[in-house]
Amino acid sequence: MVDFFQNTIDGVMIGSSYGLLALGFTVIFGVMRRLNLSYGPSIMIGGYLGTVLYLNHGAGPLVVAGAVVLGAAIAGVYVERLCFAPMKAGAGIASMVSSFAIWMQLEQAAILVLPRHTYPFPPLATGATLEFGPFFVRIDHLIMLVCALGLAAAVQVTLYRTRFGLALRAIIGHPVAAHLVGINVRRAMLLAFAAASAIGGVAGFLVLAVDQQVTPMFGMWATLKGLIAMMIGGLGSVPGAVVGGLLLGVIETHSQWYFGPQFRDLIAYVVLFAFLVARPGGLFGRAPSPDITTPQKA
Amino acid sequence: MLDVSDLVTAYGKIEALKGVSLHVESEKITCLLGPNGAGKTTLMMTIAGILQPRRGSIRLGGTELVGLSPARIVARGVALVPENRLVFPQMSVLENLLAGAYQRSDKAEINVDVERMYTRFPHLRERHQQLAGTLSGGEQQMLAVARALMSRPRVLLMDEPSLGLAPLVVAEIFSIISELNRDGTTIFLVEQNAHMALQVAHQFFLMEQGRITFKGTPGQLAEDEVIQRAYLGTRRTAG
Ligand SMILES: Nc1ncnc2c1ncn2[C@@H]1O[C@H](COP(=O)(O)OP(=O)(O)O)[C@@H](O)[C@H]1O
Ligand SMILES: [Mg+2]
Repeated sequence: MVDFFQNTIDGVMIGSSYGLLALGFTVIFGVMRRLNLSYGPSIMIGGYLGTVLYLNHGAGPLVVAGAVVLGAAIAGVYVERLCFAPMKAGAGIASMVSSFAIWMQLEQAAILVLPRHTYPFPPLATGATLEFGPFFVRIDHLIMLVCALGLAAAVQVTLYRTRFGLALRAIIGHPVAAHLVGINVRRAMLLAFAAASAIGGVAGFLVLAVDQQVTPMFGMWATLKGLIAMMIGGLGSVPGAVVGGLLLGVIETHSQWYFGPQFRDLIAYVVLFAFLVARPGGLFGRAPSPDITTPQKA
Repeated sequence: MLDVSDLVTAYGKIEALKGVSLHVESEKITCLLGPNGAGKTTLMMTIAGILQPRRGSIRLGGTELVGLSPARIVARGVALVPENRLVFPQMSVLENLLAGAYQRSDKAEINVDVERMYTRFPHLRERHQQLAGTLSGGEQQMLAVARALMSRPRVLLMDEPSLGLAPLVVAEIFSIISELNRDGTTIFLVEQNAHMALQVAHQFFLMEQGRITFKGTPGQLAEDEVIQRAYLGTRRTAG
């Protein structure tokens, strides 16, 4: 029984990183109704920037964290300018395919700059733990959970209590009507994209600090985990992103405990598949609409 | 007030507007009639800055609007109530109104205007917290009009406000159009319902296949035989 609870706690902790990744994904998907496959690779670029500062200049965790977030945001803006801003309404597939191309480009760029497969990444709390009775929680995991809940709340407040949030929800509702009321749609989308990538950067920093290493494959990992968590939680739902992430983490740790590490991802994919079939909109989301620009019926 | 001259707007190679010129007079109701596919919505979207024209000019007072972003055009005093209303369905009625005032920063005045809208459209006050997507078609149209008015436009453009609405609701919309105009709002209205338009508008234009083919007063419109047959449904007399 202790094992069961410890595994669940671990799952929630790991899952909070998935939730953070899904949060950034959700902001992009919610506003644009488009999939950004380069989301993870943008974060990986931030991770490489952090590691370069750490290795060459001995930067501390705070500076590295800032570098990862900033690097991810800048890479995100680059992706938005190339794959999303130029695409016409309804060209969601074109955006997705070009974001895949940029994924490959970013991965190659990282390998060119730092050719070894792995580079060390500075730890955050060097694996220190807190004890709660029979249970253990890693401090860096706890920071991850606090960040996930805090940032999800911040996103929600921004969406529902600020002028910028009003603009984003207007764009989600009807991009053309958003233009018509005088919202600068392109600028709002770019800002949302940068903010989403920065959230991904926070997730990236925390995960890399736990792993204490960064590889070019981190991009793919981040895109995958964020995507799966978002699909489980609900397309375009902020609470859904976090819940989906936590759930994915719990499923993974239990699968690993009961069936062994080789089943960990397999079972996660089975659960994703089950969700896609039974609840295509995820736990909290609405089923995806064909396209955001489809006009309302009269 | 609003001067459109020699406007050409194309979708790819197909020109939907083939050199449109017209004039919207200050403090009047100007109505643009025309069959489906004539290019009326294209004209409205071009004026609002959503579509870029190939050539031609759109002047408000003395200012050229062509080339400005939609947001700038709203700031200059042009607001469009779009075809099919396009309210923000997942936002409350109040939030839709606040979005309409997005270009403004005078918070106190915005609240005064929200109150004005509630007075003019009592249904909206009752439902101010309801999501706009759950309103009836007529209520959504009222909301779309109120949202456009929230920017305090000098010219209000309306693209087929009666589309898909029940006759009673259409009558209500038209009485609101008259009322707004009596209070001094300049209105440029697209309609297919010529009967209703004849009761409120001061000036008419007819558009067919991307060109203006008629211009005149309500009297001239009612006298024109071709228009009578095509748009007012008068029975063709024998012989
Ligand atoms: N997005 C579009 N892409 C291509 N052609 C369009 C598009 N919108 C309208 N058209 C064409 O332009 C012409 C004018 O359309 P529109 O302005 O909607 O007419 P109206 O509002 O008078 O019914 C029509 O022939 C229509 O098929
Ligand atoms: Mg039309």
